Amino acid sequence: MTIDRVAVLAGIDRVTAAMERDFEMLNAADGALGDGDLGVTMTRGMRAIVRDAEALPDDLGMAFLACARAFTRSSGSSYGTLLAKGVMAVAKATKGRVEIAPGEVPALAGAARDAMQALGKAELGGKTVLDSLDAVVAATTGKSDPGELADAAARAVDEALDAFRDKPATVGRARIFGERSVGMDDPGMLAMAGIVKALVDRESEEGP
Amino acid sequence: MKKILNAPEDYVDEMLAGLVAAHPEHYRLHGESGKVVARAVPGKAGKVGIVTGGGSGHLPVFTGYVGAGLLDACAIGDVFSSPSAEQMADAIRAADSGAGVLRLYGNYGGDVMNFDMAGDLVEFDDIACTTVLLADDVASAPPEEAEKRRGVAGMVYAFKIAGAAAEEGRDLDAVTAVARKAADACRSIGVALGPCTVPQAGRPTFEIAEDEIEMGMGIHGEPGVWRGKLRPADEIAGEMMDRLLADMRPGSGDRVSVMVNSLGATPPEELYILYNVVRARLESAGAAIVMPLVGRYATSMEMSGVSFTLCRLDPETEALLKAPCDCAFWRVG
Repeated sequence: MTIDRVAVLAGIDRVTAAMERDFEMLNAADGALGDGDLGVTMTRGMRAIVRDAEALPDDLGMAFLACARAFTRSSGSSYGTLLAKGVMAVAKATKGRVEIAPGEVPALAGAARDAMQALGKAELGGKTVLDSLDAVVAATTGKSDPGELADAAARAVDEALDAFRDKPATVGRARIFGERSVGMDDPGMLAMAGIVKALVDRESEEGP
Repeated sequence: MKKILNAPEDYVDEMLAGLVAAHPEHYRLHGESGKVVARAVPGKAGKVGIVTGGGSGHLPVFTGYVGAGLLDACAIGDVFSSPSAEQMADAIRAADSGAGVLRLYGNYGGDVMNFDMAGDLVEFDDIACTTVLLADDVASAPPEEAEKRRGVAGMVYAFKIAGAAAEEGRDLDAVTAVARKAADACRSIGVALGPCTVPQAGRPTFEIAEDEIEMGMGIHGEPGVWRGKLRPADEIAGEMMDRLLADMRPGSGDRVSVMVNSLGATPPEELYILYNVVRARLESAGAAIVMPLVGRYATSMEMSGVSFTLCRLDPETEALLKAPCDCAFWRVG
């Protein structure tokens, strides 16, 4: 089993459905620590990708690049730009390829994490989307069986939420709320949990 | 909320349509987004391009300063919201005539991220880009963390000085270097008397009592250094100058331009009342005042309040500041 254009299109559909489902939840989580439009950012961005999805080429690098550009066109939200930057990093790493093996996914997730960290000028451990991605990389590195990879990734994003819930945010916009963010999930981490579980098709804790 | 508008979501598009219609000799819309403004008459081929960008709500910043001897293009977002990276990339493309493009804008997290991303996007177009950030608001971080400061009205000086250097035909490195010098030479501080209302939010950006002011407040209502009772103009101006002079320390023989700027609602009369103290304080420090700017240069919609900006000049930046420029809001020479 490899990841090709058809698999990417299916993944886009699942993430889009997950973001529509989580629209209110993400807006509410973001409203507690920011301006309350994360659900808007995510649904707008995914709709922009879907609009052009039929035209995505077989070259996965070019396909991911088109997705990143569609997402950045849809809004100027910092979170959206960070995600697009991660997707661009994956695009650069897969340029000219028409399929990728599951065993390459941990390294691609790592490339996305590093690019997003460089753009956001943020450290790990600050209770941000970077910590979710870092948990995915740690949990999946060395795995190549698609089922095992999917289970590990889905578990990792939930465990990251659990691990950071009672810590204060120290970077990103939520940091100005400091101690008040203790006990709350970071909105960006929540969105990433939804994205990752949709991508690996593990929408419920029990698996499919 | 009492504002003159149609639908809040059309506020920026309608503003831009009117701006371009009123001043077709200066501005045109570029690209598909409808939110990139470029010079009506492009700069000559081979000229370094200068772009800026940021949220709406600050006219003449940012869009207004597109013009001869100033900026080449500008990406503009919703009120107080960053434009998207794609819009910024469009602005960079509009500004490029083969000599590269300087990104010159204020230090805000969202804008920085999007302009960096825009640089990635135009890599595919082979456009060389440099960046200079304005971080002139002394109230937003102490001197030892000066790189964290927000960019405010000092950007007008940077637009003018870098714009004149590009117009002279200097190359990208030289334009970037003088923009950096101008940005580093600016120090600003604001004081707010009353808030503004972002159309799509529909409520004031902050609340403040009728008899209170906030020293050091940011142009989007970011918290300042203290809030207290309103006091006489001379005392307000005196404290603002104390803070600026402590940070900049101009000395005998220095040449300094000064901007006394309305944040939107404060009338020119009150700016001139404040200018007396600004002038006296600079002169008693031994500095000579060059080309004082008094008026509405960088606003925060209908916010009531003022900002002061000092820009220390050397012979190079003074000549560039005095060089001709032309846009709908400002003309020199």
